[in-house]
Amino acid sequence: MKTTIKELESKLLVTLEGELDTAAAAEVESQLQPLNDNEDKDIVFDCERLEYIASSGLRILLSILKKAKSHGHTVTMKGMNDDIKNVFKMTGFINLFNFE
Amino acid sequence: MVKWFRNIMSKLGKNAGVSLIIILAALMLEAISGVQYYYTKNLLKKEQERTMDGELSRKVILVKSMLNTTENVLNSHREEIRHFLPQPDSILVVAKAIMEANRYFEGVGVAYVPNYFKNRGRLCEPWPFRSGDSIVSIVVGDEHNHDYTQFDFYKVPSERGTSCWCPPYLDDTERKSYITTYSIPIVGENNKLVGVAGVDLSLNWLGDTLNNRSIHPSSFSMLLAENGDIISAPGPTSARYADVQQVVRLINDSAVSRSLSSNGRVKVIEFTSDQDKRKAYIHYTFMKGEPRWQLAVVCYDDELFADIYKLRQRMFWLMFLGLALLGYIVYRFLKNNMRLYKAEVEKEKIDGELRVAQTIQSEMLPKEVAERLSHGQMKVKGLLNPAKEVGGDLYDYFVRDEKLFFCIGDVSGKGVPSALVMAVVHSLFRSVAAHESNPARIMQAINETSCHGNETNMFVTFFVGVLDLPTGKLRYCNAGHDTPLFITDKATELPVEPHFPLGLFADFKYETQELLLAPGTIFLLYTDGLTEAMNPRHEQFGLARVKEIADNLKEKTPSTILATLETAVHEFVSGAEQSDDLTLLAVQFTPSTAPVVLRKELTVVNDVAMVSKMNDFVKGVCGELQMGKSETSGMILAIEEAVVNVMNYAYDEGVSGDVSVVAEATSDLLKFVITDTGRPFAPTDAPDVDTTLSAEDRKIGGLGIFLVRQLMDTINYERIDGKNVLTLKKKLGSAEGPSHA
Repeated sequence: MKTTIKELESKLLVTLEGELDTAAAAEVESQLQPLNDNEDKDIVFDCERLEYIASSGLRILLSILKKAKSHGHTVTMKGMNDDIKNVFKMTGFINLFNFE
Repeated sequence: MVKWFRNIMSKLGKNAGVSLIIILAALMLEAISGVQYYYTKNLLKKEQERTMDGELSRKVILVKSMLNTTENVLNSHREEIRHFLPQPDSILVVAKAIMEANRYFEGVGVAYVPNYFKNRGRLCEPWPFRSGDSIVSIVVGDEHNHDYTQFDFYKVPSERGTSCWCPPYLDDTERKSYITTYSIPIVGENNKLVGVAGVDLSLNWLGDTLNNRSIHPSSFSMLLAENGDIISAPGPTSARYADVQQVVRLINDSAVSRSLSSNGRVKVIEFTSDQDKRKAYIHYTFMKGEPRWQLAVVCYDDELFADIYKLRQRMFWLMFLGLALLGYIVYRFLKNNMRLYKAEVEKEKIDGELRVAQTIQSEMLPKEVAERLSHGQMKVKGLLNPAKEVGGDLYDYFVRDEKLFFCIGDVSGKGVPSALVMAVVHSLFRSVAAHESNPARIMQAINETSCHGNETNMFVTFFVGVLDLPTGKLRYCNAGHDTPLFITDKATELPVEPHFPLGLFADFKYETQELLLAPGTIFLLYTDGLTEAMNPRHEQFGLARVKEIADNLKEKTPSTILATLETAVHEFVSGAEQSDDLTLLAVQFTPSTAPVVLRKELTVVNDVAMVSKMNDFVKGVCGELQMGKSETSGMILAIEEAVVNVMNYAYDEGVSGDVSVVAEATSDLLKFVITDTGRPFAPTDAPDVDTTLSAEDRKIGGLGIFLVRQLMDTINYERIDGKNVLTLKKKLGSAEGPSHA
């Protein structure tokens, strides 16, 4: 599991690569910690190469979303595959995030 | 008029038709009574006229007889008078004797022709008269200044030589009263007139005699001379005195009547009294022969027809009472009818509501979906025939997490109250069993709630069973209900603890009993409507018959058992009225016997780092079963979530243990059995996640088991031999992905 955070002019672009299962969750959570400190930019997740996500991954995304929303920013998911989108649908997360 | 009528009608409202009938009836009655009154009055009038004519004739005869008597008396004494003519004093004696014999003669005497006695001067009239009670005997001479030759009583007989009833005149003796005199000429030996003999009759006396017996209180009679002068009439003391002059005037004015009356016919004059406006009738006639007097009888309308007026008044009140009675009867009748009508409407409403209630109640019964949900691991069939529209029996079953929850109950009493309690108990069962799998705890929860505020002391005998489908383990709890049967080859009664029914003691402790069912075992539950069904001879169906039927049944399935029992009961009661609800529920345990095509096992320690290994294992299984990419991804996620859940919650922090996963597949079903040795932990008890909440309201946790439920077809938890056993199943070969609503 690999994550990168790129700071652009008006947003933070986060790239997720690989399988976000429970085993990887703890590491990913610490890698994405900077997002929790962000106060002035919208967040965009690039999910093009994200292959799998478990509920522990969903929890991380939800806590990032809650933080961003409290500062009035949006969190957008980009290029997500259908299987993962299905998980988002089942859990109702599809209504919480923006999708591109 | 029309407006007024409409007003009345609108006020009468719905009863307008009936009121109209009553009004018409009243009008008709009034009309009949009016016609009757008219004819009766006419009839009575004729009758009264006859009565008056009769009265008149009677009076005429009375007067005539008095006059005749007077005439006869005087004529019979004519010779005696002639004999004593020369001695006026003797005449006095004779006259006095006559008066004493005839007490109503005012005076009797002889008036000699002038200068009859040389020594007595011109006038001589020995004529005693009554003064009070005594008779004054005097001989009137010149000195009395009473020239009788000027009076009619003297002039007519002396000049015409005939007898005469002279018109009334004022007697100028000291009596000064009106009298009439009957006088006859007396002739001497040479047929020469010697004098006139006469009798005085008091007009007052005549009047009194005439009026002495009147037919009505106010009616009176009068005698009039031919010239119309009053001979006798009620005096000034009479109440009708004022009418007397009016009557005289009317009779005298009636020229026609006078000319017609000469033939003796009775004439009638109708008049209205000037005095008091009373309507009255005069019947009058001339008396035949001498004197030519007229006799009149006056009667007053109100007295003549007093009876009919009284009758009319009574008729009016009678009719009024009759109508009032009729109205009252009609009113009561209508009211009664309205009440009956309302009761009928009310009953229909209640019947309608009962029918709806019946539908609702039958809708509450479970449908056959449970069998589908259990992948054919059991068969179940229920039957409920309420004795009334709605009943107090209930049965229910549903499958949750590969467990069949079923119950049967009988509420004390029958009808609507029982149905209400039944509905409450039913919904309690549903809501409690939705998250509780232990029958005793389900029973306890329902009992506590139904005891609360149970003022009517209704109770429910209840049986709850939970059949674990993967293992065939039956857990049950019986609260005073009829002992169920389990049927293998033979029907046997299930051993049950003697528990109280629900609704009596809130703190009663119920216990769960267990039984492992062999494949094919049928579990039969029933209410006393089965065993206590009565035939016309009051014999009960009985448990022995039930067992016998079950034993002898060749093909034993819930459907055949229920159908056979129902038919048997119907035949047994043979037309007797169903006395109680008949409820049956049969459950058969039919575990799958499909051959296993794949079996793999992996055991890992309770460390999340092992998840990737687990995922590879699942991926391998799915690959062997040639499942699609999406389905495989779903399986991996489901098993990861289930395993992580066990790792996180079954073992305390830092405690190490194993989690084993067994994958087993038949041709159409993939089954994962996850076993751990941690503390008892039922992931199936986790509450569902509300996916409709906003990001702010969403909780971070709880998604794992939720995802498992979404991705798998069934999830089942059992604690077996000190281990948590979680069984997840997924049907294979369905084109559709995991069900996610």
